[in-house]
Amino acid sequence: MVTFYRRLPKMGYVKPGSLEEALELLEKNPNGRYRVYAGGTDVIPKLKGRVIQSPEILVDLKGVSDLDHIDFDEQKGLYIGALATVRSVETSPVIKERYPILSQAAGSIASIQVRNRGTITGNICNAVPSADSAPALLCLDARVLLYSKNGGERTVDITDFFKGPGLTVLQPNEILREINISASPENSRSVYIKLSPRSRMDLAVVGVGVLLTKTNGTFRNVRIGLGAVAPTPIRALKAEAMLEGSEVNDDLIINAARTASEESRPIDDHRASAEYRKMMVEVLVKRAIHQCL
Amino acid sequence: MEEYSVIGKRIPRVDGRVKVTGEARYAADYSMPGMLWCKMLRSPYPHARIVSIDTSRAEKLPGVKGVLTGKDFNGWTWGWMPKTRDEPPLAVDKVRYLAEAVAAVAAIDEDTAEEATELIKVEYEELPGVFDPEEAMKEGAPRVHDYVKNNLSWDFHMDFGDVDKGFGEADLVREDRFETGRVITGYLEPPAAVALWDSGGITIWAAKQSPYFVYRHLAACFNLPLNKVRIIQPFIGAGFGGTKNDSLAGDFCSVLFSKRTGRPVKFVYNMHEVLMTCRRRHNMIIHNKMGMKKDGIITAMQSKVIADGGAYTAIGPLTMYLTGSISTLPYKLPHFRHDAYRIFTNNPIGAAMRGHGVTHTRFAAEIQMEMMAEELGIDPIEVRLKNAITAPYETINKVTVHTCGLKEGLKTLSENPKWKKRSGGSPPEGPLSHGVGISGTAYLGGARQRGHQSCGAVVRLCEDGTIDYLTGATDCGQGSDTVLVQIVAEELGLGVEDVDIKRVDTAVTPCDAGSYGSRVTVLAGGAARNAARDVKRQLAEVAARNWEVDPGDIIFKDQRVYVKGEPEKAMPFRKLAQVACYAGSGAVIIGRGYSQYGIEELDFDKGIGNAGTSYSFTSQLTEVDVDLETGFVKCTDMVIAHDCGRPLNPINVEAQNQGGAIQGMGQAMYERFAMDLGKTLNANLADYKMPLSTDVPNIELIDIITDDPNGPYGAKEASEGSTVSSPPSVVSAIHDATGIWFKEQPVTPEKIVMALKKKRE
Amino acid sequence: MAMKKIKFVLNGETCEWEVKPWRTLLEMLREDFQLTGTKEGCGEGECGSCTVIMGGKTVNSCLVPAVEADGQEILTIEGLAHGENLHPVQEAFVEKAGMQCGFCTPGMIMSAKALLDENPEPSENEIREGIAGNFCRCTGYTKIFESIQAAAEAMKGGK
Ligand SMILES: Cc1cc2nc3c(=O)[nH]c(=O)nc-3n(C[C@H](O)[C@H](O)[C@H](O)COP(=O)(O)OP(=O)(O)OC[C@H]3O[C@@H](n4cnc5c(N)ncnc54)[C@H](O)[C@@H]3O)c2cc1C
Ligand code: FES
Ligand code: FES
Repeated sequence: MVTFYRRLPKMGYVKPGSLEEALELLEKNPNGRYRVYAGGTDVIPKLKGRVIQSPEILVDLKGVSDLDHIDFDEQKGLYIGALATVRSVETSPVIKERYPILSQAAGSIASIQVRNRGTITGNICNAVPSADSAPALLCLDARVLLYSKNGGERTVDITDFFKGPGLTVLQPNEILREINISASPENSRSVYIKLSPRSRMDLAVVGVGVLLTKTNGTFRNVRIGLGAVAPTPIRALKAEAMLEGSEVNDDLIINAARTASEESRPIDDHRASAEYRKMMVEVLVKRAIHQCL
Repeated sequence: MEEYSVIGKRIPRVDGRVKVTGEARYAADYSMPGMLWCKMLRSPYPHARIVSIDTSRAEKLPGVKGVLTGKDFNGWTWGWMPKTRDEPPLAVDKVRYLAEAVAAVAAIDEDTAEEATELIKVEYEELPGVFDPEEAMKEGAPRVHDYVKNNLSWDFHMDFGDVDKGFGEADLVREDRFETGRVITGYLEPPAAVALWDSGGITIWAAKQSPYFVYRHLAACFNLPLNKVRIIQPFIGAGFGGTKNDSLAGDFCSVLFSKRTGRPVKFVYNMHEVLMTCRRRHNMIIHNKMGMKKDGIITAMQSKVIADGGAYTAIGPLTMYLTGSISTLPYKLPHFRHDAYRIFTNNPIGAAMRGHGVTHTRFAAEIQMEMMAEELGIDPIEVRLKNAITAPYETINKVTVHTCGLKEGLKTLSENPKWKKRSGGSPPEGPLSHGVGISGTAYLGGARQRGHQSCGAVVRLCEDGTIDYLTGATDCGQGSDTVLVQIVAEELGLGVEDVDIKRVDTAVTPCDAGSYGSRVTVLAGGAARNAARDVKRQLAEVAARNWEVDPGDIIFKDQRVYVKGEPEKAMPFRKLAQVACYAGSGAVIIGRGYSQYGIEELDFDKGIGNAGTSYSFTSQLTEVDVDLETGFVKCTDMVIAHDCGRPLNPINVEAQNQGGAIQGMGQAMYERFAMDLGKTLNANLADYKMPLSTDVPNIELIDIITDDPNGPYGAKEASEGSTVSSPPSVVSAIHDATGIWFKEQPVTPEKIVMALKKKRE
Repeated sequence: MAMKKIKFVLNGETCEWEVKPWRTLLEMLREDFQLTGTKEGCGEGECGSCTVIMGGKTVNSCLVPAVEADGQEILTIEGLAHGENLHPVQEAFVEKAGMQCGFCTPGMIMSAKALLDENPEPSENEIREGIAGNFCRCTGYTKIFESIQAAAEAMKGGK
């Protein structure tokens, strides 16, 4: 049967006032009775389209105070609270200055209206392969802090966070509290390039993030993050290794870009063929590296 | 030329204010006490027999007030012509495309209606489907309609001159296969309506671009006389042909629900539903053959068109007619043959869209002509100038052109500094390659179809000198209301603020064929002028009696009336209105007018004669930057030289050219439905990519004024012209940048990269 | 499921209301408050026709649960004009023909207003970016850019 729904399914709504309260709810959460959300820009359309199972109760995290922070400290680095919106990350002066790749990635998402509501945390918890913030966070060696009831707390490297399309290591009783990024290496440069047919309000056909430092003519701290070319956002580890510690030269860059393309495992879909995506990884990795030099 | 006071002026739209305040009401903005909501249940298969439908569980759901299935319409079907009535309001024994409506629910609110659709049980027997028109034409292919052999929905053949002779005379003959795309009209407002059936018959507030189509459909479906069917026209969130020109399952079902329940019934489609099920532009495969002399003169053209018609006929016959009958413009064709086949498939229905029919074959012919010119070493503008018609002209199939600004437009563009920036094959700098492209096309205005083709207008004088103006023509947003008001004001020497346009209400407004084929300004405009002149004549008689002069000497200007050459004999318009209305008994002043065009020979079956009242000509230059590594195209600039006869409102004409050109650009660069076995894979506005603010070029506009004798004040059409000129111009520019001719729309980044790769190999 | 009591400021007036938790802000505005100026094009964040300003920021009201209006200040297209006096952005859209069918217009004007509040002298590029979440099929955008530029001009001097 096909019904084109315009309305949300019937469900309840709670807005816990603290993280503990929210975690308490999730502790007794059989069959996804509760579903947390932040901006709702992923959850609401999916619920309307009956793409995901409707929870009995939507848990609005926005009642939790002190979760929308973007804090920077020279020692500890950057902390992005679970409720920090994509727009606030995009426009944050410190992120623009210290982590331009993240600001660019955030700015490439959807529209201002969506960025005003959506969060970076929601973007990675939603875990689509094309999530624009993911390649940036991969390049930045981000760590995510997951909380559960009674002080349960664990830190997961972003490289271990994604498990498959729409899947992460998050347990049903956990909430991602914040994202932490170390102070990026001195003189590092970074860039995120999103390829999509339209320049706005479009999903990445390929997303490429590169971060590196050029020290005495050699590549250091090289990170290459790729989006939309594998079941999860990935790092191009072999390509990184080729560059790391090597002298900067054009042939090497071309080879590394080709290697990154080989590391990608894209699929054919209505947005692009796997072949095109692989070719674009090569083109964009090369471009991104050049832009970082 | 006569000096006008309102016509030709940059007058802001008459509906501007209500639209910027949110006051303008569209169909979905209407609601009534006691109103029910109607929701469709649709088929999960593109081709299946309906074995049984069990609605009992849905009927029992609290809040549900009724359920309908195909049988409730007693076998009634509808279509564009008597012999093509093949579409039922709800599928009866078979579904022919994915998500065709099979049942409908009415309930006290939309949530309940949606929930109830899930409780309807339909048993289907899936049938093999056919999705590719070329496959569907083959012997033994599954039949979409059991009685139609080889799935031939409609065919159409034109043969003028002797093409073989023409090809024989040519120095160069080319044959190419072109394909246009599956494109949606793209209106932002999803179809919606509120229907009410009471003792007065049917009243429906519906988002309809041509309400008089639906008026006839509803009367026929429910066996009512026309005076019991009332369509009240809300503001329309754009149409662009197809769906909003026609009736929908939702219209029929909400009317029938209202009949059964006595309550008003509303439906609103959602955007997925629109993109999955609504009428779209036909996908067409065009095999084009052209002959050319060494000097660039075209000797003959032959086209074979295969169109994916989808599951039903709809307006398809007209589409196919237009693919051929207008091919003989704007370049001279001494010999022309055209064979068009519209084929049924289990895809959503192909129908009209801005640039109807013409955009497909014009694209093929334009690109092929330029490919041949390139082979012969002739400049793209030169080849067009050599072949372009000049007015007056009669084509080989008796299309008569009285005015034509094509050559002037092309010459203007050839002198534009942007044209000098053509790469002509010079190598790019870095990955970015710059290209400039051109096109020169024609479109009809004041379309004439079969059946009732007139427009009417009534101008009613109020005793205080203000005017009620009634028209059956719908402004679906493109600004015709403003132009029509200008015309009435001009004739009566009034300001636009003195004239109030009454939007369509079929109970009171005069019948009109509809807002398609760029007919409103040309035909409804003519009607408006005639109706206003009728009022003027009546008023002039009163004034003439008053001053004892000849009625022909009475002048209406600047809200005043006076006698030519005797300025002391003058009074305000308002005063004359009062005198006229109160003079004698029964003095009610009403003017009436209808559109007039010469009734000439029009042979629909052979493609002979004028499908339009007049023809617009558009020359377009487009500049692009192509990233040769990613295939990404940025369209940076367009220059459009447009001959619309005379712009009656320059702001509107500019707006039409801009909007039309961007729609054409979308079709050339981004837009296509990705299909798999009848399923639209990208039925949302992120994946079906229409241009956004960040994608559009700067557009420079040039008016070529030709003053057509058949339009009011010299006007021809504006807006469909640039939808037709844009795709070939964009593709020509991409060719200039890449050296590759793309024959299939849209030219996506991936296609560019793959073609460049192939060229290198 | 229990109705939720909410209190918020709508176009300058304080409202107390009860909503079902599965209602969107768009539905509440259009159906409960009859503020039908805000339109629904896609219902899923892609077209911007439902744009309203909530807490000073533009949002797609089709994606916002109505309960979230609680404690917020909400501005819709109906709240822009002061009596007969149109907001300069509205004025400019009329003058420069920034609309055709008008269905995108309320959302477009809300985005334009938010843009100009934040950036009173936007470049053409900034205007393009500022309304990239508002789809318009009719205009091809050129006249919308001109309208917003004209509004910026008119608003100079803190009108
Ligand atoms: C029109 C449109 C266009 C879009 N374009 C893009 C685009 O270009 N690029 C892109 O990357 N994305 C895009 N998105 C997706 C979306 O906007 C982003 O993923 C956004 O960042 C999600 O954030 P949110 O807060 O709205 O997520 P929500 O919808 O609130 O949540 C998303 C998921 O994360 C979970 N979740 C949220 N917060 C937490 C938490 N703290 N702990 C545990 N789980 C949590 C939720 O349960 C849910 O499963 C688009 C969305 C729309 C509607
Ligand atoms: S209706 Fe909300 S963004 Fe389209
Ligand atoms: S004016 Fe029609 S969509 Fe913008």
